[in-house]
Amino acid sequence: MQLERAVSSPLSAGPAPSPGGLHPKNAVLKQRLLGAEHWLCIERARYATEVWRQTGGLHPSLRAAKALANVLAKMTVRLEPEELLVGNRSSKPIAPPIAIERGDFTFVFKYLLEDLEAFGYRITPEDRRELLDDLIPWWEGRTVRDAKVAALEAQGLTSPPNASPLELVRKLRAFGPRTLGRVLTPRAGAEQPLHRRLPRLLRAIRAGAKDNVKGRGRCTDTQAHIVPGHKNVLAYGFSGIRDEARERLGRATTDDERGFLEAVVVTCEAMRDFSQRFAALARAQAEGAVDNERRLELLDIAKRCERVPWLPPRSFAEAVQAVWFVQNAAIISYGAGSGITPGRVDQLLFPFYEADVARGALTRDDARRLLEELVIKLNDNVVIWPNLGGVELNHLGSDVENITLGGVGRDGRDATNELSWLFTEAIENTSLATTASFRVSAKSPAAWVRRVVELHRRTNSPAFLCDETAIATLMNDGYPLEAARDYCLVGCVEPSGNGDTFGATGGTKVYFPTALDLVFNRGRTTFFGNQDGPDTGDPRAFRSFDELFAAFSRQLEVMVAQVTEATRLRDAIWAERFHNPLISCTIDGCLESARDMTRGGAHFNFGAVGGGGLATAVDSLATIRELVFERRAVSMGELLEGLRTNFRSHDALRELLRAGPRFGRDDARVDALAADVVARFCDLVRAQPTVTGGHFKASLISYGMNVYEGALEPATPDGRLAGAPLSNSMSPSNGAETKGPTAAFNSLARIDQTRIGYGNSLNMRLPIGLLGSDAGVDAVAGLVRGYFKKGGFHVQFNAADAATLRAAQERPQDFPDLIVRVSGYSAYFTRLGRSIQDDLIARAELSP
Amino acid sequence: MRGRVFDLQRCCVNDGPGLRTTVFLAGCPLRCAWCHNPEAFAGDTARWVEAEEVLDEVLADRDFFEATGGGLTVSGGEPLLQPAFVKEVLTRARAEGLHTCVQTSGAVPRDALLAIVGLADLVQFDLKHPDALTHERLTGRRNDDVLANAAFVAAHAKQVEFRVPVVPGFTDDGLEGTAAFVRGLGAHALHLLPYQRTYLDKYRRLGLGARCATVEPAAPSRLASLASRVEAAGVHAVLVC
Repeated sequence: MQLERAVSSPLSAGPAPSPGGLHPKNAVLKQRLLGAEHWLCIERARYATEVWRQTGGLHPSLRAAKALANVLAKMTVRLEPEELLVGNRSSKPIAPPIAIERGDFTFVFKYLLEDLEAFGYRITPEDRRELLDDLIPWWEGRTVRDAKVAALEAQGLTSPPNASPLELVRKLRAFGPRTLGRVLTPRAGAEQPLHRRLPRLLRAIRAGAKDNVKGRGRCTDTQAHIVPGHKNVLAYGFSGIRDEARERLGRATTDDERGFLEAVVVTCEAMRDFSQRFAALARAQAEGAVDNERRLELLDIAKRCERVPWLPPRSFAEAVQAVWFVQNAAIISYGAGSGITPGRVDQLLFPFYEADVARGALTRDDARRLLEELVIKLNDNVVIWPNLGGVELNHLGSDVENITLGGVGRDGRDATNELSWLFTEAIENTSLATTASFRVSAKSPAAWVRRVVELHRRTNSPAFLCDETAIATLMNDGYPLEAARDYCLVGCVEPSGNGDTFGATGGTKVYFPTALDLVFNRGRTTFFGNQDGPDTGDPRAFRSFDELFAAFSRQLEVMVAQVTEATRLRDAIWAERFHNPLISCTIDGCLESARDMTRGGAHFNFGAVGGGGLATAVDSLATIRELVFERRAVSMGELLEGLRTNFRSHDALRELLRAGPRFGRDDARVDALAADVVARFCDLVRAQPTVTGGHFKASLISYGMNVYEGALEPATPDGRLAGAPLSNSMSPSNGAETKGPTAAFNSLARIDQTRIGYGNSLNMRLPIGLLGSDAGVDAVAGLVRGYFKKGGFHVQFNAADAATLRAAQERPQDFPDLIVRVSGYSAYFTRLGRSIQDDLIARAELSP
Repeated sequence: MRGRVFDLQRCCVNDGPGLRTTVFLAGCPLRCAWCHNPEAFAGDTARWVEAEEVLDEVLADRDFFEATGGGLTVSGGEPLLQPAFVKEVLTRARAEGLHTCVQTSGAVPRDALLAIVGLADLVQFDLKHPDALTHERLTGRRNDDVLANAAFVAAHAKQVEFRVPVVPGFTDDGLEGTAAFVRGLGAHALHLLPYQRTYLDKYRRLGLGARCATVEPAAPSRLASLASRVEAAGVHAVLVC
């Protein structure tokens, strides 16, 4: 037996897919997804605008409800011949719904449409005209973004690029013409020569940089990043929610309350009518169906759509359909790039599965087919990143609809169930870039952890989350124990309550290396060149590392204050004008308080501030401590000169710096510095209130954006060159992991991760070969368990080896579904920008 | 107590059970044609290290050992050229409750084995080739003492794994003989270590010629057939990869 097992684990071939393999109908759906053209569909924008034009003065909740109802009533509904689960969000198989009122895509459409098209996005000439000549002009000055930029400017919180001759010279020295040119021009293959494109590129840059918050802060236009109350829709249906809203309407005391509750009634009925459109479509198709099997399927689809999500589901299939309707409509309502999360799908759906199986109405295979289809649908949600760097880098990235599996239940007992396993099989069989979070507690079955590790053989998606750390984190932020145990992962890795929280977990960010840049330049950033922070003195006059660290902390404090103030200004705009009664009415708290989620209606309310480039900053600080203040091998003056010239003619200095101490090598002294920076940052963030009555929570994740983030950062004292990627998430810098994964785990575990309210991410790369053997699978499972026992929160592994990635870079056509986990979400390697590809290849190979 | 160490690798998976930290000791009595660790006797990576220092780094991964049933492995080169140092490292590791493993070529004085055999939870004992003359051609030494020491270890070690490097054209003709030999010692299994090419750049960096530079690793089908021949000789074949 040993022989058979041992010999049957060659390094190259993966194991066979789990029982049955991908259902043939789902195989067709998957191929259609992978081969589909990307479109810009303007239906969402058109039908929402229709209502907005006529409803000035209406209560903002009601206005949003009517706009959504109009979209749901008029948008194209489609039903593919292979589908059992229905509900589309635009007129084409792959086309992100455009929430035009947010305004975050507007400048991309206005100035960069050619580049989007060069990347493969298509738009019909009629739609293009309507979008550019009718819709966008009407929204000019009315969008969230326009209002936000105006508010930021009025409060003096913006920092546009300073183009004075002196600053331009400084920038050129610090970045060099080539790096600067690369930063400023998208590398898209637009046919026009650069001099023809330059005028609109410059306009795009100016528009894109308008929300640069002082101190290189980012405050995007969107909030969202939320888990809708799927649980409430499954329990009561929208009919029940409507009835409750009507009942609450009887006790309403203000026009504001009435406006919101009436909006809920409109929304619930719009959801009913939306599903009825699919029912009618299915019945119509059934009439014309020649294949009797399909005819019966269509009639079943019709029956399901006639019931859910209006009434509570009675079967597993109805429950899955209801979840998908809510998920789909929530994304339509909020638009692409909103991070709407289904949550704990295995827990949500299990009672229905159990009951169906018990009465003999459902087989495991049938359930798996439905889950495969759901997983495929969760993967067709692309996002156009609404910024220049994003356009360059990965505009075809998936807008995460993170599903959470496994972990303990509200009672504290292990809740891994049959659906956790079935979802895992569905993820494996579909082999798509599914973003899935696997909760692991000390009580998780060993076989479950192994099973998730084995997923890496066919897909890179699994993220491991530690229950003990996550639950402690949520309780630190005010959740009671039971609610904390029910957490779901939102967006990338942000732990949030299950349908009871307005989380807004993404979108606001600062970068730790910027705080150092501000120290070195006495309150100015090198790239933007304005006085963004306080003058913390001439660094050459610092007599100790403590003085430098105090200046760094002071800059960080001001950065956090500025970016949270900007976020409050943005959130006030949402609260005043841009409501979402659909998501609100599903979330615990909004009906009782008769307030939209943007106004603090939910039970729990938070905001987020991400911190980027931790290891880059920590490595820099540790290197300065050692080389400048302890060994005195380098003077501060020499260091500053090196940084300001991007180390041109300072090769020896750069080599010295690159050999400095690094985070991720189990070096207690460096790790203590990292722990200190993180603790300070988390405390600064937590002290800031949100407009919804909660507080901000810190996160250390980079959404795979660390390449873009580094593009605007000058050279750093760890020897990193200007414009090079920052370290990603909370991971060590590229090339720092010379002591292997356990050393990196130990370094990260020295940080108190329960303070990091919205989570942190550790990305590790494992060569595919390791997982070919049982010993390798056990080893990876042991790494996860060991790290979590030490207090780790999250880890994910990229299993593709460098040779595979290089081959994929050269021959993308041969690797259409090579999946890479980029800092919390999964992406298709071949669709990533070259610089991200290079970054992934360069990441230290942690081969045992 | 100091020893000459040329590398310490954390997070190893094929050097005993679970996740392990492997300490590579410098020096070797053999010069195997396929040697994967030429830095054991060439180059300048080896340095003197205190046993306590080794333990400090090993203990950093205690949580990972506990999660996987892993521990410390002493390897080389030939670690038992430094028996006193190995003894101290193992003694300290045992005092910390770590699982311990020693990898040896067996081409060492009996005293060295005596010193450690009671301290190692597992001995991984390499047998390159059963034929004395071939052994000399491949490794530079005859194998009389290796075979005698194998018998000693089989009789006295807490647990022993006999291992053979499978180098096509070099060692693969001796597999059945080795299998028969270990069966005679009462062993139930023979571990096969397929030859890999990934080490060749070490030779380039050290400026050495590699005698196996043109050898291709055995294909999976070839490994399977070799394994079945070992099984036919009466012991389980365990493929390590």
